[in-house]
Amino acid sequence: MSSAVEVSPGRAQRPPAEVRYADELARLRAADDAPKPPGWALSLRAARAFIVGDPKLGVARKFVGDPSLIDRALVSLATSRGLLLVGEPGTAKSLLSELLAAAVSGDSTLTIQGGAATTEDQIKYSWNYALLVSEGPTERSLVPAPLLRGMAQGSTVRFEEITRCPLEVQDCLLSPLSDRVMAVPELPGDAGMVFARDGFNIIATANTRDRGVNDMSSALKRRFNFETVFPIADFDTELTLVESEATELLRRSGVTAPPRRDVLEVLVTTFRELRTGRTARGDEMERLSSVMSTAEAVSVAHAVGLRGWFLRGTSGDAADLVSCLAGTAAKDNAEDLAKLRRYLEQHTSWRSGGQWRELRDARRELPGG
Amino acid sequence: MSLTVVGVRHHSPACARLVGETIAALRPAYVLIEGPADMNDRIGELLLGHELPVAVFTSYADEHRRHGSWAPFCGYSPEWVALAAARETGAEPLFIDLPAWHEAFADRSNRYADAEQRYAEAVERLCTAFGVDNTDALWDHLVEMEPGEGLAERLAAYFDLIRGEAAAGSSDTAREAYMAEWIRAAVRAAGDRPVVAVVGGFHRPALLRLADSPDSGSGWPEVPTPPEGAVGGSYLVPYSFRRLDAFGGYQSGMPSPEYYQRLWEDGPAEAARYLVTAVAGRLRERGQPVSTADLIAARTSAEALARLRGHRHPARVDVLDGLAAALINEALDVPLPWSVRGTITAGQHPAVVEMTTVLSGDRIGRLHPDTPLPPLVHAATAELERHGFDQPGEPRLDLLEPEDRERSRLLHRLRVLGIPGYARTAGPATGIDPVLTEQWRIRLDENRLVALIEAGGYGPTLEAAATARIGQRVDDAGNDLGQLADALFDAAFCGVTGLAGDLPDRLERGVAAGTDLGELGRVLTVVLALWRHDRMLGTAGSDLLGAVVAGATRRILWLAEGWHGAGLPADLPRIRAVVAVRDAVRHAERAGVDRTLARGIAERVAADRAAPPDLRGAFYGLARILSQDTSDPGPAVRGAFTGGSAGDWLAGLFGVARESVLAPGGILGLLDELVRGIGAEEFLLALPALRQAFEFFPPRERVTIADQLLEMRGLGGSGRDLLRTSMPPEIVAAGLALDEAVEERLAQAGLLPAGGAR
Repeated sequence: MSSAVEVSPGRAQRPPAEVRYADELARLRAADDAPKPPGWALSLRAARAFIVGDPKLGVARKFVGDPSLIDRALVSLATSRGLLLVGEPGTAKSLLSELLAAAVSGDSTLTIQGGAATTEDQIKYSWNYALLVSEGPTERSLVPAPLLRGMAQGSTVRFEEITRCPLEVQDCLLSPLSDRVMAVPELPGDAGMVFARDGFNIIATANTRDRGVNDMSSALKRRFNFETVFPIADFDTELTLVESEATELLRRSGVTAPPRRDVLEVLVTTFRELRTGRTARGDEMERLSSVMSTAEAVSVAHAVGLRGWFLRGTSGDAADLVSCLAGTAAKDNAEDLAKLRRYLEQHTSWRSGGQWRELRDARRELPGG
Repeated sequence: MSLTVVGVRHHSPACARLVGETIAALRPAYVLIEGPADMNDRIGELLLGHELPVAVFTSYADEHRRHGSWAPFCGYSPEWVALAAARETGAEPLFIDLPAWHEAFADRSNRYADAEQRYAEAVERLCTAFGVDNTDALWDHLVEMEPGEGLAERLAAYFDLIRGEAAAGSSDTAREAYMAEWIRAAVRAAGDRPVVAVVGGFHRPALLRLADSPDSGSGWPEVPTPPEGAVGGSYLVPYSFRRLDAFGGYQSGMPSPEYYQRLWEDGPAEAARYLVTAVAGRLRERGQPVSTADLIAARTSAEALARLRGHRHPARVDVLDGLAAALINEALDVPLPWSVRGTITAGQHPAVVEMTTVLSGDRIGRLHPDTPLPPLVHAATAELERHGFDQPGEPRLDLLEPEDRERSRLLHRLRVLGIPGYARTAGPATGIDPVLTEQWRIRLDENRLVALIEAGGYGPTLEAAATARIGQRVDDAGNDLGQLADALFDAAFCGVTGLAGDLPDRLERGVAAGTDLGELGRVLTVVLALWRHDRMLGTAGSDLLGAVVAGATRRILWLAEGWHGAGLPADLPRIRAVVAVRDAVRHAERAGVDRTLARGIAERVAADRAAPPDLRGAFYGLARILSQDTSDPGPAVRGAFTGGSAGDWLAGLFGVARESVLAPGGILGLLDELVRGIGAEEFLLALPALRQAFEFFPPRERVTIADQLLEMRGLGGSGRDLLRTSMPPEIVAAGLALDEAVEERLAQAGLLPAGGAR
């Protein structure tokens, strides 16, 4: 059957992880001789290797973070509790949940996107109304949503931004998580109870900037193991990541001048200090209310490169950086803009290095400066 | 001859066991141990039968540097086990490393620190290869969880790999050359009997190479003696697990002593069980809910993690990760401490704090009664006797007398070190209090000697020990300004003005994190005064205080620029903070206060509509002073009067720059005009703030103002009489209000023209 909306995963803009890394998964499956938890596509060790990398099998490292986090996450998934990844926006929680689902179930597409308008229908099941009217509630007229499908197949279900859903909607996960069963009261007989098959579990992500996990009911909290994903701890790792990602983005945008390393250094330092609220020298300051994630740093580095190239035909410099920072870091928040200005005024002069001087000289590029 | 070099990681139970087994099997003639060679004739002291942990503390001072370092031993230290095994097998134990005062140790405070940090790159590659977070996890994975078969070879491979081709630093080279001399001498002396050397694993490849080189010497190597004029010595002090765990950065060794003690005594399975039980116990004691289900989950996770990571029993991080997964159900603010390495940071989850406390343990060592007392005990006793403070009494000291000042310092040092029986009942609180005498009460206390022995770990003299203790307090205080200030004032009382390592840096960091503008201002005022003037306590010009002055000034400026609240009333501490900044900029540029920065900020705050009016006024004054601006202040003052918070603004201005009123061409006339222009009701509202503003003028200047006002209005009489009111201000205000009401009624009745004169 072909339809106007069908797109094979191979031609998609961003195919799911199990398609992108199909070769690696196949190699891992072939070499996997460790026992697998029931219903899992890979053993824990192979699943771990898929994410933290295994040079011997040609498996790339896909997540820059503590390997112990991956260990704990996988063990949580193998037990009877769900996994809740919490952290600041832009810390690659969704990427991690996708990779985990691809490794554990070989399928990362059973995804519920949480939001203010998410309803139980989108999580559990709904009905094909034409069939419902003609046949009544039957398995044929039932339209399973990701949770029901995951339980029936024994797969990992991803629940993105769970805390953005209303509390009562979140709580519909309680019995699937604790009793591993979902009732479909409309269906008669045995079909009215769907028992989860081995391999079913839930990976939820939540953002500490939204309402956070404090509003979550404690009954639901108890059924999850919490894993906090932190911004990249190591300066060099973050710098390298920003550099490679930004270079790639610039290349795709047709910019041939690579980003300047010293400008990126200043950029990453600025982001890290505004994120943590602490300078290298130990001064404490207020954090920005905008998100200063690595992902944002990459997009600023990209914008800096574009500005330099398309305005002057060179790599982006510190003045470009200040202009772009105003847009991303401060957005439309006047307070953040003031904090940023204060940072540029007071925390650039004591550092050595020409790029810091340039940054200081360019501080008047901030709007209203 | 046969030489066996066992390369170890300090404080590793697996290495300790290997050392014990090797010595028992080989029964060597000599056991050579990486340790201070100047302690060789006193090895007997170490073997008296102390309760561990203990440490050899070495202090050193010459005219260029001052240094204190520890060589801590606990039950599972390979060096300690080597000593004990040597005695059991009848071998002669010898320390073969340079003395701790030697230049090679100039930047070390822990002899048995890990060398991994010096070879960070290789360690990082290994961690990535094995998929672990850090060295500690890597070490447990490779060594502690897999002792037994082939350990010696594995250790050798590990250290060879990490040391790799990297060239050793000059201090390592010097130490290795010296240790190799001892090894060659021992091999010579042993004849055909074996020799075992126990050294840090990183030195092993170099030592094997050096020991093989042709030997031209004869007899034992010379032990270096301190240069002439230097003072110092080594002695045994009791130590504690808490301090063993508290070394940070480059000084750190294996963390979590209590856990490894259990691992050493009972093996990995028992150690893991202890960890879970103890953490649950502590949390429950503190009223945190830990359910049986949580404990089951923790154990299951730990077991599963161990299996995933290929450990036969759960290792330290497996248990900790399992506990964290089961017990923490909220987002964390900072990463788990065992995933990042280093001392515990603020903001940890309470469960994590309990976990690290359990890991660290609270064992405290105790020296055998026959151990020679640390020099501090002798030094302190002699000083106490000299001043007659060894007997109960209530001495009163006059701080202006040099001799009494010396005695006061002595007592303060004892107080700071927590020696019981010495309490001050009265005296100056900060060093700039106008109190010049102190009252002390001395009583006998049976714990005095014990406390002195323990304090012996801080240094050989009361001065050195108090310095080290205050340094530790600065560290512990973190960002707590109150505690930092107390530590500083204690430093002044104790006469501690010398630089102790990176103490100024640490202090600056603490100050740089303060958030209370008023408190910062208070600290800056006092510290600036101490730094500028104080001859009594001898703190004038001290670098330590200079660093605080610079740091606090910078911090106040930073905070002030972000302080928002256009409607806030005047706040005296806040204004005083700006005054302190003014003085710091004027007088302490030498200490690193940045005048240009201060001026820029002052101008910006003065112009910032969102800033509180008193800060704006204060910074307006500061900016005028710093830029020596003599332009007409009229527009600024008029501007301040339009917002309805003129009194607060003036309070700030007068606080910082009251001379602008009285100076020729000052603003007095303008003020008079503006105040007269305020409506009656508004005036009543502004009155308290205006009064507060004029409080900044001392009485004599108030008289001058009154005189000038009278003159301006062409009235005769003395300003002094004008100021002499016998009525409290509330009554005057009530009277004014009454007048106002009467006038209003009169006007309503048509008996006065509306808006009549007041």
